[in-house]
Amino acid sequence: MNERVIPWQPTVIAGPKQALLVTPETAQMMLQKAKRPLMIIGPLINSSPVQALATKIAERWNIPIVSTGDAFKSLNEAGISSQSYGVVEIINLLKDPDWKGVNNEGQHDLVVFIGVIYYMGSQGLSTLKHFAPHLKTLTLCKFFHSNADASFPNMKDEEWIKYLEKLAE
Amino acid sequence: MVITVAHRPKPKEFKDDFWKSKNINISIGDIVETEQREEAPESMGPTPKPNVTDLRSWDMKLLKRYEPFYAPFCDMCCLCTYGKCDLTGGKKGACGIDIEAQQARTVLLACCIGAAAHSAHARHLLEYLIEKKGADFPLDLGMDIDIEAPIIRTVIGKVPKALGDLREAMDYMEEQNLHLLSSCHTGQEGSSVDFESKAFQAGLMDNLGMEIGDIAQIVALNLPKGDPDAPLVELGMGSIDRDKPVVLCIGHNVSPGAGIIDYLEDQDLEDDVEVCGICCAALDITRYNKNAKVVGPISKQLKFVRSGVADVIVVDEQCVRTDILEEAKKNKAAVIATTDKICLGFPDMTEEDSDKIVKQLVNDEVEGVLILDPDKVGEIATRVAMQIAKDREALKLLPDLDEIQEMAKECTECGWCQRVCPNSQPMMDAVIGAAEGDFSEFQRLYENDVCYTCGRCEQECERDLPLMSMLTKVGEHYVKDERYNIRAGRGPVQDVEIRRVGAPLVLGEIPGVVAFVGCTNYPEGGEDVAKMAEEFLERNYIVIASGCGAMTIGEYRDEEGRTLYERYSGDFDAKGLVNVGSCVSNSHIAGACIKIANIFAKKPLEGNFEEIADYILNRVGACGVAWGAYSQKAAAIATGVNRWGIPVVLGPHGSKYRRLFLGRTDKQETWDLNDLRTGKVIEGEPAPEHLLYAAENREEATVIIAKLCLRPSDTSKGRQIKLNHYIDLHKKYFGTLPEDVYKFVRVEKDIPITHKKEVMDMLEEKGWEPRALPQEPSTMNFREKAEGK
Repeated sequence: MNERVIPWQPTVIAGPKQALLVTPETAQMMLQKAKRPLMIIGPLINSSPVQALATKIAERWNIPIVSTGDAFKSLNEAGISSQSYGVVEIINLLKDPDWKGVNNEGQHDLVVFIGVIYYMGSQGLSTLKHFAPHLKTLTLCKFFHSNADASFPNMKDEEWIKYLEKLAE
Repeated sequence: MVITVAHRPKPKEFKDDFWKSKNINISIGDIVETEQREEAPESMGPTPKPNVTDLRSWDMKLLKRYEPFYAPFCDMCCLCTYGKCDLTGGKKGACGIDIEAQQARTVLLACCIGAAAHSAHARHLLEYLIEKKGADFPLDLGMDIDIEAPIIRTVIGKVPKALGDLREAMDYMEEQNLHLLSSCHTGQEGSSVDFESKAFQAGLMDNLGMEIGDIAQIVALNLPKGDPDAPLVELGMGSIDRDKPVVLCIGHNVSPGAGIIDYLEDQDLEDDVEVCGICCAALDITRYNKNAKVVGPISKQLKFVRSGVADVIVVDEQCVRTDILEEAKKNKAAVIATTDKICLGFPDMTEEDSDKIVKQLVNDEVEGVLILDPDKVGEIATRVAMQIAKDREALKLLPDLDEIQEMAKECTECGWCQRVCPNSQPMMDAVIGAAEGDFSEFQRLYENDVCYTCGRCEQECERDLPLMSMLTKVGEHYVKDERYNIRAGRGPVQDVEIRRVGAPLVLGEIPGVVAFVGCTNYPEGGEDVAKMAEEFLERNYIVIASGCGAMTIGEYRDEEGRTLYERYSGDFDAKGLVNVGSCVSNSHIAGACIKIANIFAKKPLEGNFEEIADYILNRVGACGVAWGAYSQKAAAIATGVNRWGIPVVLGPHGSKYRRLFLGRTDKQETWDLNDLRTGKVIEGEPAPEHLLYAAENREEATVIIAKLCLRPSDTSKGRQIKLNHYIDLHKKYFGTLPEDVYKFVRVEKDIPITHKKEVMDMLEEKGWEPRALPQEPSTMNFREKAEGK
């Protein structure tokens, strides 16, 4: 099997429904199509060049940012505005079709994840896979997330940065 | 001897309002012969010995406010041969179950397993101790503890006076667990919320079982009885004298360890043999005898066994590596299994002649032995250790680092060791470094149990490198100072302590009780819990610890080399660090909250679960923390204390428990409160906001813990203190004022003086209006709502 699409932590495989492997181009199409996307930035990329790239992507596609863990602090220090939620709190809100979204404009239709602890992100993606048919999930981590609707493959840093840069263009 | 009519719960058919309002109880009891020792309660509440459905209405109140949040770990159900069934996309299984119910069912199953583990342990202890001491042996916890069994009193509705009285609670618990387990069968319960209600019941049974077990061992083995000055005992792999024969106890049941200590004392060998333990067995043998030593928490298990220091490994029950025999064989340690829970395929030699057993073990004629008599275990373990220790001396020596370097050169850099690591720790980088003679990454992984040695990396290695042994040996080589201390588990909280802190806790002037429980397989290493404990101790919270968490806290030193146990007293008071003891001692954490309701607020306990839980939920600012990854026992403990109204924060691995209980601050109606003093329904607040929450890292957890200690009963002075900590911690870890702080300001006086201006600015921006402070906040008996007002 192609190692790029075996979940980074192989034991998170939950069942027959697996994520679609996406390239930056496909991810771009998803972002173009989305009406109310949301980006969730976790603490694994605190104060890193990847965090800066992620915020560039958010800016490029006009996506509001939710920060989880303590990611708010490093984003705030970088001058990036975000709304802080626990990752389980935001997932809980996202699974509610009647929630009005972070900007009170309606529930989001695409949720883009980056920097959340792998196994915890996987659990959150599982929640959305099962209980949020009203939205799609896309992960931009360098790890394949089988519980997402769409995921980047497992990659080394160099390739990952190129993927992210394409999305930020 | 007298003949009495034993009390029985009220028959279910008489539970309508008429009978309740008249306080008339009609019951037909069993005629039994018994010693007249159980104390009849002055008044009996509505739910003595609650059946599976008797507390359902309370559960539904909790579940309405804190809706279950499911994160399926598996998309399928594999429990019966209809399946496997795929439950994705709204599909149901062949039996009709959907994904939500399946998650809740799995949680219930986990809670039943957890409750069974604690309670089977308790049953074993109870019968063993009754055999040793007699059923009439008094449950005397000393002068300072009159409310000695708060959970049993509340749930069973009786005051046990002797060891034999605990059997009734044990019987009840076992029956309940049977019914609960039964509902997990194919084609039974179909509702996720009812599965959750049953999980609450299983958690409550778990709490009950733990209390039975710990009270029995405290009184019968004369363990510390709520002593805040329990002795400091030695902790750490470096505290074990490897020049002596070493007997290692792993597990949770004190009986074999006590048997070993008794034998050493009888034979005057205390100075000749080292007795130590891992996991809760370690905590309990040090409660039994302060000269025993604690190797450390579960995260030390494979490291210590691989170190070869233990000559004899005695396993009892729970949290023992199931491959312990294979591991022991690697360095020729002898293994003795001691309970029916773990037999390891060994011959049962309980009735065999001791000399013969010793000879067979020493001469490797058997792989190990099963001995179900703790006293005999004491003799065999000691004699075998003394005989084989000399021949094993070479196995305890540190290897040459050159040897590890040579092994490391075999690494193919495939990276799978990192992918299978639960925390994606850089094991491959450590090996690559070691190949170059740089052991620093191995050392980092070793220190503070950043690698908690589950061993998954090792079995993945295509070159079969013994990664755990390499880690252990590098660690031993560089980390020379693994000697710490821990205050021996003190058991329950004294009544006098409850009297002292009851008012300041309920009013909020002591900002909260934070209890660190559970296992120590922490995502970023052992310091997480110790640092959180330190943070809250410095802020005047009462910090409780138990089990492996209590050990981890002891492994952390300040710049002056002192552990938190040396810096803080063992009092149940502000700035107190209370090690209650082992896993079963967790019962005293809920017990302390129950005692606050009883001793401070005069709420009767017997049969009065809902009122007590309602009191705790709304007025006792307690929060549990279970930071590590682990077991069904932890699921049961957390679910049990949730039902008592105590919120729990889990570490990130906790998301894998599949279910959390999360509040929604945007649904104001779920926070309404009933003011029992006025009978009016008032606008409430999200306090506590969640009942079971998983945090992504220590920083987030620290802030949420402070927030989850807020309670509607806080006075303005108390609220100021609590908000001050919440704001302070949020600023420390997030850099700003918390955006939701306005939700917790009821009147202007609630605002901490040091943050007044910025909070006032926020209130103005949010259009905040003051609201009434409840005098007796409750989530029960919404009279106004019932009357349609």
